[in-house]
Amino acid sequence: MEDGKKGLDIFGLIKSVLFTDFVKGLVITLGYNVSRSITLRYPDTEKWIPYRRWRGMHTLNKDANGRELCVACELCSRACPTQCITVIPMEDATGRGIADRVAKVWKVDLVRCLFCGFCEDACPTTAVRLGREYELACHDLSCTVKEREGLLKPQPVPESFEGGVVVGARFVRTPGGISVVADLSKSRKRAL
Amino acid sequence: MTPVLHGISILTDSPTVVSARAGALEFLLANHALDCPVCDKAGECELQDMVHKYGPHKGRHTEKKFKFHEKDYALSPVIIKNSNRCVQCIKCARVCREVVGVNVLAAIGRGDHQEETSFFKTQLDCDHCGNCIEVCPVGCFMRLPYRYKARPWDLKGADTVCAYCATGCRMVMEHRDGTVLRARAQYGVGVNSETLCARGRFGFDYINSPERLTTPHVNRYGKLEAATWVEAFDYIKESLMGVSGDEFGGIVSPRYTNEEAYLFQKLVRDVFKSANVDSTSRWEASGVEAFAAAAGMNEGGVSVFDCMEADTVVVIGAQISDENPVTDYIIRRISAARKMNVIIVSPRAMKLDSSANLLLRVAPGAEGAVLNAVALSLVPDKTGGYAQTADIAKDMIDALVAKLKASASVAIIAGTEFLRHPESCAGLGFLKDSLKSSGKKVLILPALDRCNQRGVWEMGAHPGFGPGYAGVEKRGKGTHEMLEAAMDGGITSMYAAGVDIVSMFPDAQFAQKALMRLKFLIVQDTFMTETAKMAHVVLPGATFAEKEGFYTNQEGRAQIIRSLLPPPGKAKRDFDVIKAVGEIFDTGFGPKNPALALDEMRKTNPMYRDASLAFNNKRNVDNKLDIKAALVKAADAAPPSVKCAPAAIAPKDDKYQFALMTGNHLFHSGMLSKRSVSLTGLLNSAVVEICPEDAVFYGLKPGAKVIVKGAHYEAVMTLTVRPGSKRGVAFIAENYQDCPVNRFFKKGAGTPQVAIRPCS
Repeated sequence: MEDGKKGLDIFGLIKSVLFTDFVKGLVITLGYNVSRSITLRYPDTEKWIPYRRWRGMHTLNKDANGRELCVACELCSRACPTQCITVIPMEDATGRGIADRVAKVWKVDLVRCLFCGFCEDACPTTAVRLGREYELACHDLSCTVKEREGLLKPQPVPESFEGGVVVGARFVRTPGGISVVADLSKSRKRAL
Repeated sequence: MTPVLHGISILTDSPTVVSARAGALEFLLANHALDCPVCDKAGECELQDMVHKYGPHKGRHTEKKFKFHEKDYALSPVIIKNSNRCVQCIKCARVCREVVGVNVLAAIGRGDHQEETSFFKTQLDCDHCGNCIEVCPVGCFMRLPYRYKARPWDLKGADTVCAYCATGCRMVMEHRDGTVLRARAQYGVGVNSETLCARGRFGFDYINSPERLTTPHVNRYGKLEAATWVEAFDYIKESLMGVSGDEFGGIVSPRYTNEEAYLFQKLVRDVFKSANVDSTSRWEASGVEAFAAAAGMNEGGVSVFDCMEADTVVVIGAQISDENPVTDYIIRRISAARKMNVIIVSPRAMKLDSSANLLLRVAPGAEGAVLNAVALSLVPDKTGGYAQTADIAKDMIDALVAKLKASASVAIIAGTEFLRHPESCAGLGFLKDSLKSSGKKVLILPALDRCNQRGVWEMGAHPGFGPGYAGVEKRGKGTHEMLEAAMDGGITSMYAAGVDIVSMFPDAQFAQKALMRLKFLIVQDTFMTETAKMAHVVLPGATFAEKEGFYTNQEGRAQIIRSLLPPPGKAKRDFDVIKAVGEIFDTGFGPKNPALALDEMRKTNPMYRDASLAFNNKRNVDNKLDIKAALVKAADAAPPSVKCAPAAIAPKDDKYQFALMTGNHLFHSGMLSKRSVSLTGLLNSAVVEICPEDAVFYGLKPGAKVIVKGAHYEAVMTLTVRPGSKRGVAFIAENYQDCPVNRFFKKGAGTPQVAIRPCS
């Protein structure tokens, strides 16, 4: 304006008289008012289920006969860049695992974990998998180390479920803690 | 086959060689079970390393792999086998036959169905030494105690020396999170290279034992109760205040490091002003002097490999295959190649007999008489001397003499029987002198059964000599005299550091009575031993894996040990305990740490001044096992010469048919190995061993329970036979808790006689 041409800005005047900018803004707001919502009503009614490639909390798999796939070879703990996985093997020929070598201890410290997935890559039996469990927050450090027993329980979202969708959910508050229970039957694409 | 010629150029890394190597490896993998994630060897497997380096990284064999069996099978309580991983190198069978000499492993079958195992795959009745595990390049032979416990990269190791016998085998002890998991030998390191015996390889697990003493104990109102160090030291202070020198005696364990032994004798001599210091609860002090003098231990170290260079090797008074198994391997291995004379003089048959070309079976304690007879025959213008050895055929002595006469150099491996029967030492000295006077080179290697027995003597833990065999102003009392003095009140206080007098003194009852009379007894040990139970104060010490220091093996080879773990609980390293006891009475007592003790000791002890402690852990480039720099040098002084009177010969009693011999069992060493789970799994309850002829003669069945009855004690144990042993000799090892062999002994009564009859 300083070095620009002098004179009356007719258009500007008309714009300000007619509240054009204000109306423009209102139109956007109005558009959102009538468009479909992108807000996820998490955790009360909705929950995002990530894609299969998601790297969440570890899970330990079993084979079709229910035998543990983990042979406690410790390659995961070796591959781990943060040394957050501890494996102590033991001998158990009762058929608990696919070999007579099974894990006595398999634990992961999720606070130290980078979720890099090296453990998954190192595993020769595809026993360890980074699952789609991502609600890992808690009030104290007691829940940060996950033990074998808990990790062997199948995660709520099965491997067969494609993911990348928003599903119905229910927020459950129990004396044991809080959780968001997903209902995989009701799903919708996430609006972008 | 291409003969190697001068100037030949051999390519080891050309593309052709590398691809041929990959091809060979591909065939090895054709049937090799690729269960690396399960296999204990993964991570240190030679096949894995080779395939990783040279390939093939993809196999072309699509055929189903041949499998010997589905499940691994145990070959022994300590060895487990998976033949599917075998690469048919037959190293296991060769080490078993050529080095260990038990010959229980062989290759069964042909081609890729060839399996190296025991016949019919039954449990082995062998030495359980585990050398097959060590040489196996793949995970075919594995340690059962280590099975599925860790990966090689989990283990933190320290180079150390085996703490059982005095062969001084170098090994690496490894632990995971504070639990010692395995001991292994390294190829080309130490006198043993990659061999160990069952004790060394599997007997370390007492370190992890929950029975370890972790806190001091103080006797309160007749009961030992856990206490703090302060309470224990206060109790020691008030009880020992005012005890005059002669009333105090100290005995240090031959398993303590040299630094600890040096500090201990300093504590007894300088702080308590007492001359009564000894280092064993078994031998008489005068016998030790006689043995050290006869064996020429003050003349410096004698390498076992130098001994093997001799034309004739005489093994006498040593149950070498049982007490020093790795020395036995060395003799077997080298004698097979060099074909020198190996002469064994012993009452018992032993594994090494198969390598010997002359065997003399003598009565227990008759070694001296044999050596005398031999020496007399070597000295010109003298004949006879056979009269003393009525039970040895004259022609055998003649054969021995002929072999000695024909040799330019002679090595004599003299064992602990000379310490049990010290009167034999004169014969040893006599033979040595007469061989030397006839211009032969003579080497004497003492074969001892405690890892640092030689070292503690050379540190001066002996009533008759100080560090480096230097003379002492006043001769003190040895263990035997101390206990006698305790009996009549001459000694009121004792400090037993690491020794279990009640279990080891050759008259258990006497030792117990004598210790009962003491006003004050300090016991420092790692376990609540029989002696510790009688103590007023028990101080928890450390095992060899928990301290720094060095040992001197039987050859006089100084070798450092490294600390792997801190002592458990409130236990302390023995050096610190001895130092703290000294500081109660003299705040300036020192040296304050093992390194300073080493410096101080080296200043006063010419034997160790130049003995190198370096390089011992390094692997030789040329796989030369003999590091001469580590051998101790000659001392300035000699042990005082003593004359050992022959022990009283018990009148022959027809009730007792057997003369009782003792020593260490192959699987045990002292009472310490009884705390090892693996070793007690190999042998737990007492066995008595006689020769098969006697078993038939007296109608005794091998494997059956028998009653062994002596004049003072009788016990039920299992009978075993050993073919080739002398008739009329019964052997009971000193290692059984259920039957302490020292209860058969009576002080001053000589070799005990026993009767064996079937248990009805």
